[in-house]
Amino acid sequence: MTFKEIAHSVRNAFRALRNGEFLLRVRADKYYMHIMYLFLLMWMSIMLSLQVDKTLTQAGANKAAIEELRIHHTESEAALVKLRSASGTETRLQRMGSKAALPQKPATLIRKK
Amino acid sequence: MARKESEIKDTVQGRERIHVVMFFMSMIFLLLGAWILVRIVHIQTSYTVDERVIGLFRPRVQKYVEHPVRGRILATDGRPLAISAPLYDIHMDCTVRKQEYKDKGKAEKEESWQQKARELGAALSREFRDRSADDWARAILEGREKGSKYLLIRKNVDLTTLRRLQSFPLFCEGANHGGIIVERHPERIYPYDSLARRVIGYVKEQNRIGLENSFDAELHGREGYEWRRVTDDNSWIRDLDSAKVEVQDGNDIRTTLNVDFQDIADKALRAQINEDDDVRAGICIIMEAQTGAIRAMVNLSRGATPQTTLWERENLCLREVGEQGSVMKTVTLLSVVEDGHVKTLDQTLPTNNGFVPGGYKQDVHILDYQRETGRRDISVMHGFEISSNYVFTWLAENYYGRNPQELFDHIYSYRLGEAFDFDIPGLGTPVVNRPNTPGWSKTTLGTTAYGYGISVTPLHIATFYNGIANKGKMMKPYLVERIERDGKTVREFKPSALNSSICSPATADTVTRALRAVVNSGTATRLKTAKLPVAGKTGTARVVLSAAERGGSQDAYSDLSGRKKFQGTFVGFFPADKPKYTILVTVYSYLSHRNFYGGTKPALAVREIVDKIYALDQDWRPELYPVAEVPVMTEAK
Repeated sequence: MTFKEIAHSVRNAFRALRNGEFLLRVRADKYYMHIMYLFLLMWMSIMLSLQVDKTLTQAGANKAAIEELRIHHTESEAALVKLRSASGTETRLQRMGSKAALPQKPATLIRKK
Repeated sequence: MARKESEIKDTVQGRERIHVVMFFMSMIFLLLGAWILVRIVHIQTSYTVDERVIGLFRPRVQKYVEHPVRGRILATDGRPLAISAPLYDIHMDCTVRKQEYKDKGKAEKEESWQQKARELGAALSREFRDRSADDWARAILEGREKGSKYLLIRKNVDLTTLRRLQSFPLFCEGANHGGIIVERHPERIYPYDSLARRVIGYVKEQNRIGLENSFDAELHGREGYEWRRVTDDNSWIRDLDSAKVEVQDGNDIRTTLNVDFQDIADKALRAQINEDDDVRAGICIIMEAQTGAIRAMVNLSRGATPQTTLWERENLCLREVGEQGSVMKTVTLLSVVEDGHVKTLDQTLPTNNGFVPGGYKQDVHILDYQRETGRRDISVMHGFEISSNYVFTWLAENYYGRNPQELFDHIYSYRLGEAFDFDIPGLGTPVVNRPNTPGWSKTTLGTTAYGYGISVTPLHIATFYNGIANKGKMMKPYLVERIERDGKTVREFKPSALNSSICSPATADTVTRALRAVVNSGTATRLKTAKLPVAGKTGTARVVLSAAERGGSQDAYSDLSGRKKFQGTFVGFFPADKPKYTILVTVYSYLSHRNFYGGTKPALAVREIVDKIYALDQDWRPELYPVAEVPVMTEAK
């Protein structure tokens, strides 16, 4: 391509721009669907990215909730276990004036004949 | 025709107008494009970006380290002995928004804040009940006045309390408005408090002891990290473009400890020693005969003075290396029976007024025996029952005098001469005065036969007696049976033998008979009426005093005023006919004029423990069988 031809093309392009015919001249209408598809892809990419952010935020909140439940469970378990010791139970019964105490002999097992 | 020309003219003029408009629009876009082009070239070549501007556009990213949850230590039935949960320290920034209200002249807002502070004071007073509402309000308002940014509200509150606090006036408005400062720190919770604490151990910053220390690598887990970025709505989420290392929580340790047995032993021991100011410490070991699994290990001791409370201060079961006294006579008995020197326990030996030639002290108890029975001989069985030092010195000198090494070979085969591997490090190394060692003298053989001159730990003694209970198979004591993750077994530790045969089953049966006789008619008759038949031996030993304790006394066992330190032991197993558990209880005294015998406090503690274990253990429950058919119920007519 010679310089003259390039200059001619630039001049034509400039004239087309001036007349508002540039996109028609380069037959952009032929790629209209592709351009729209590109826009759609970009829109979907942005939307998906936002959805991922939202999901990760939700996952973080859920993780924090699970962690809180785990801590609560551990604390409850510790409190419950404290109440389960035999000597602790015996002391509480005595404090409450109960005559109940630890068994003196193992429970009798009734078997089938 | 003229109309047509006019229409053409209008059309041409219209087109020209459109062209003009399009021209200007095209020019605008052209200039805009040219400007963008110039800017691109400028930015790419010579433009320097202000970092502050970049910071506004770039998503903020920070490294977030996730700490693992330390694994749990569990009892054999799965009850937690040590668990991890965070605790929270609560402080308050009393100056929050103060300057802002002052600068903007918002006096009514300041008044509203102070009113809420008074309400907060009332709520804190109701919650903690240690200060009045006015006290709290005064502290907060004075803090605001003086510019306190870190007023302590409460340390170590749990999550439930924290959530309640966060619902109080002011605090419910968060850190920026209410001034609440919450600091979280991991904490180890021991639900049973002092129970088995020397075995379980503890974690205090870098200090760790017990199982917490020896299994730290399993319990600790592995830290994880990830990079997080902030989203448009100011939430922090994982940055998916960066690396992430998953946090791995610690494994759980399933011990062999039985909480009920530990509780029973702890309470029984306390009952015996709590009120006695002369008692320095008491220990108890309960071991499963067939496996060597430790079911309970109690280590109660006082501090330097009797006024201090009993607490699990040191692991005496593993570390207290000392002369054990008469419980070692069983070692001699087992050896002479196993070697065939004593064929039957009814075999007799001369009493010799309690004298064994070779520089030994006279055993005055033999004189009592001679006086009471009028006999000049004594059976091995009776010598064992009354725990005669003379009898065992005589046996050792007569059967091993020519070759003392034979007896010491037995001692080493019973693993009483060395520290073996145990789940908690620090098992004391025994001190044995063998022939041809600096500690050996002409009386060492005899004194070793009745428990002096050889120093071992209580765990060594319990393991030895467990070998007899297990018909000669000496099991290795162990504390950890499994390592678990989420309830699934990762690694299992099976029972193993230290010595698969320390003696023949027949010898073990013979010695068991002798141990049973000690309970029935010897020095441990306090256990005779226990709910399960017990076989065992008492031991009373004087403790060698330090130079400071002796205070110039020439006697290694007493100070100038004649005070001594004792350790009284009972060690045995039950039920005697089919042993399931081996038990050892030792009581240590301060310097005292009193004697502490193995047949008193230790035997009483053992009795209480045996009786309670009998009531709890399902193995010994009586069974009832119906003797007739139960009639079938029919409908009423």
